[in-house]
Amino acid sequence: MDDQTVRTICYLSRLRLDDEKSKKILSDLDTIIEMIDSLSSSNTENISPLYNPLEETARKFNDKIKSDNNKELFLENAPESDENFFLVPKVVD
Amino acid sequence: MQFKTIKEINAGLVSKKFSAEEFIKDTFDLINKNKVLNCFISLNEENALAKAKKIKVSKDSHLLSGIPIAQKDLFCTKGTKTTCGSKMLENFNPPYSSKVVDALDAAGSICVGKTNMDEFAMGSSNETSFFGNVHNPWKKGFVPGGSSGGAACSVAAGLVPAATGTDTGGSIRQPAALCGLTGIKPTYGRISRWGMIAFASSLDQAGPICRTAEDCSILLDAMSGYDSRDTTSLNLDSTNTFADLNKPYENLRIGVVDEFNIDALNRESQKLFNESLKVFESLGASIHNISLPNINQSVPTYYVIAPAECSSNLSRYDGVKFGHRSLEAEDLESLYINSRSEGFGDEVKRRILIGTYVLSAGYYDAYYKKAQQVRRLIKNDFEEAFKEVDLIVSPTSPSEAFGFGSKGTQDPTELYLEDLYTISSNLAGLPALSMPHGFVNGLPVGIQLIGNYLEESMILNFANRFQQSTDFHNAKPTFEGF
Amino acid sequence: MMSWECVIGLEAHVQLSTETKLFSRASTSFGEEPNTNVNLVDCGLPGVLPTVNKNAFYKAIRFGLAVDADINQTSLFDRKNYFYPDLPKGYQITQMELPIVSGGKVEIEIEGAKKIINLTRAHLEEDAGKSIHEGMDGTGVDLNRAGTPLLEIVSEPEISSAKEAVAYMKAIHQIVTFLDVSDGNMSQGSLRCDANVSVRKKGDEELGTRTEIKNINSFRFIEKAINYEIERQIDVIESGESVTQETRLYDSIKNETRPMRSKEFANDYRYFPDPDLLPVMISDAEIEEIKATFPEMPKDKFVRYQSEFNIPENDAQIISSSKNLATFFEECMENTKDAKLLSNIIIGDISSLLNKENIEIIDSKLSTKNVSELVNLVTEGVISGKIAKTVLEETWDSGLSPIEIVESSGLKQIDDDDEIERIIDQIISEHPDQVSAYKGGKDKLFGFFVGQIMKATQGKANPASANKILKDKLDN
Repeated sequence: MDDQTVRTICYLSRLRLDDEKSKKILSDLDTIIEMIDSLSSSNTENISPLYNPLEETARKFNDKIKSDNNKELFLENAPESDENFFLVPKVVD
Repeated sequence: MQFKTIKEINAGLVSKKFSAEEFIKDTFDLINKNKVLNCFISLNEENALAKAKKIKVSKDSHLLSGIPIAQKDLFCTKGTKTTCGSKMLENFNPPYSSKVVDALDAAGSICVGKTNMDEFAMGSSNETSFFGNVHNPWKKGFVPGGSSGGAACSVAAGLVPAATGTDTGGSIRQPAALCGLTGIKPTYGRISRWGMIAFASSLDQAGPICRTAEDCSILLDAMSGYDSRDTTSLNLDSTNTFADLNKPYENLRIGVVDEFNIDALNRESQKLFNESLKVFESLGASIHNISLPNINQSVPTYYVIAPAECSSNLSRYDGVKFGHRSLEAEDLESLYINSRSEGFGDEVKRRILIGTYVLSAGYYDAYYKKAQQVRRLIKNDFEEAFKEVDLIVSPTSPSEAFGFGSKGTQDPTELYLEDLYTISSNLAGLPALSMPHGFVNGLPVGIQLIGNYLEESMILNFANRFQQSTDFHNAKPTFEGF
Repeated sequence: MMSWECVIGLEAHVQLSTETKLFSRASTSFGEEPNTNVNLVDCGLPGVLPTVNKNAFYKAIRFGLAVDADINQTSLFDRKNYFYPDLPKGYQITQMELPIVSGGKVEIEIEGAKKIINLTRAHLEEDAGKSIHEGMDGTGVDLNRAGTPLLEIVSEPEISSAKEAVAYMKAIHQIVTFLDVSDGNMSQGSLRCDANVSVRKKGDEELGTRTEIKNINSFRFIEKAINYEIERQIDVIESGESVTQETRLYDSIKNETRPMRSKEFANDYRYFPDPDLLPVMISDAEIEEIKATFPEMPKDKFVRYQSEFNIPENDAQIISSSKNLATFFEECMENTKDAKLLSNIIIGDISSLLNKENIEIIDSKLSTKNVSELVNLVTEGVISGKIAKTVLEETWDSGLSPIEIVESSGLKQIDDDDEIERIIDQIISEHPDQVSAYKGGKDKLFGFFVGQIMKATQGKANPASANKILKDKLDN
């Protein structure tokens, strides 16, 4: 992984690597990528991906309300909230 | 009281040798005396005692009535904090309970506490937990395996007869093996994932860790069954494996996988494996060599799919609605980056980064899609194999328990190879069990039985018969060094 | 002056009128107290799982059938990964690889000319919550809307003017409202769109660089935003620079578009199939069931209104093209018989009242009960057509029943022939000159006398009786 890729991946993941650790983690990532690169040796022509081992389909629910108002419970669990909202620092746009 | 099985405790409760309350009190005494093991993240003493006080066990009660059980700390428990072994959820108090917790509660069992685990179930040694290492009761300073390390430790130390675990790549079977226990990961979809904090959704499956196959079947029957809240839950009734323990499964054909290369194992492990095959034959089974041509791609396949799903599953930990929020969050970006960087440990970060990488533009086809295609090849291999055999046998893990910090610190993929034998059944969604079958260097090791879809009864039945003619499951840990 | 043409593709976001959310059974009702229509799933708590709302699929399929599209009987949900405070899971569940609806076409009409706009696809996805910036220190997050089902309808880039874009959105609005797929309420955000706009020199084959204008929520703004953007892009190119591919917002107060503050850095959504959701299958039987309950569409109503109710073509056209008017008309017809008079009142007096206040009929105080009562009062001769207008205005303002209004303000028609005759005698005796002029052949003066009668009775004289009696008196 080059520096630009690492920066992009970290940004997309919203993670920062501490300076002291980042070297180690980056070399770990390279080792892992080397390991998963061996996938390319498999011939997968005309093989459809298996996204879920259950090759079943989802059942659908009827459109009837079944829900409680959990507002207070949810807001209590939030790191920051007022009586109505979850709060975050001011967002522009 | 220590080291009793569910069946033994139930007999004591029914015959009124002791009451549920007495037994739970003793259990907490035992737990408190063994704090050094660090197998629990939190205890549920007050609620457990209150529930035990009310329970009257008769011969008509559920076998789990009054039985103490340890829940892995990724099953949400309403009103009791659920950390997933992470600083991110250090103070998370779920407003609801998981299906597994509710089902075991309804059966009358008593949750005594939440067990330690690798952070977000990512690890094979329980060393990634924010709450510290867990000792293997067989030897201080040695790992119990992971990610359900606390669960296996609590049962192996004889504190509780049963614990719940989850298995994404071997997280039930490998710790069961390293602690001398029996554990089963059922068919994907058997047990609802509702309320089970996700690591990799298409691979995660809950299951029990106990001393015996018989106890595992009692737990599995109580945990399984359709749940409309999980679209990946199989629309089937609960399993009935306990009743099937006495069903005759004659002339089972058991496959040994060529590609697992048993000859390459160390001599001791080889010897144990071959001795177990002899026991299988003595039980009327026949042994066959089979080939799973794509099985050696299991590790790379898994280490694409699991991180990809986890990178997305763990996006909800953003410091907004629950979980850790950094004190240094002056704007939205720093809120996200600081909260996540502080809240997650290194292994979780590594996997999120790998997952993000394999899903990102330009790499999706080469890694993610490719891995899902290879996954189908692996599944196809199993389908072919199960035309020839009824069960597939392999070691559970390449080696016995190892010392803290001795594996994977230089090269993380070294630890990933712990899952070599276990992850293919997660990729294919097949049921698989590990049971003890001997000792290497004085530490227990396990043997794995993989069955065809929905064949949990056959697996448990055969394991039960194995345990009726062997004694490995009765061995008690030596508590070396404690 | 160089001549330019523009290429527009629209992504319409239609909020489906389901009771519950796409993946949870929390209510979708609008305007509730913040964070009260939120359950465990909507909040994205650790360990929760999505399930699938059948009705959302049925509504999407209904739309697909109406626009002649292919229905994908196996469809899949994917995750679109990005961080935003009102996106609780850090990803949006949407359909990328296998949408429920593929293809389809919508017909629009611009100044009498018809044009087909082809659709690329229509897929189901969940809406995000809302971020509130005003009235607090930071930003507040309300998750009531999170998980509300949306149908995103994507057109091919075949729209070539802002006017066509508006016509296209109106056509979509008509389809989704008639099908009861959505309430179409734009002020509540039930229908909004993103517009992809680019310009090129006439005759050029290659497309210009496009910009995307996000979240436009009224027909008027669609036209203004697109026109502004076309002008802006032409100016940019003519001044020798090039258009930047970016996302822009339309500011309706300043009437301009401006780039969104860039959260666009390394925008990579990492779509992949949602491993929590198995594929959704729609059976042939389900499609048949949906077809069997297909509501009547404007074209069918247009024909039926003329044949069944005998109303003029123009009235049938206007009423049948609006779901609200058509429903209103049909409900009134349950309590009255005079379709012609009813349609006349709807497209005449009622429409001008609606236009004046710029509202939809369902948002007014007019009830179908009151309007059919009003029609009946005229038909039964209780009030005249002229008085009807006054009564309509009163019921429009007050919501009172026309019968009450007529009785309390004495607007009842004078049907008593003796009384009318007495009034006519009086008028004839007061206007001897006009009477002799009429008798001398000035027929037009008949109207003068009618006017005098209406003046004397404040319009309440039964016009038929008045005419007959007047004619008898003058001609004898």
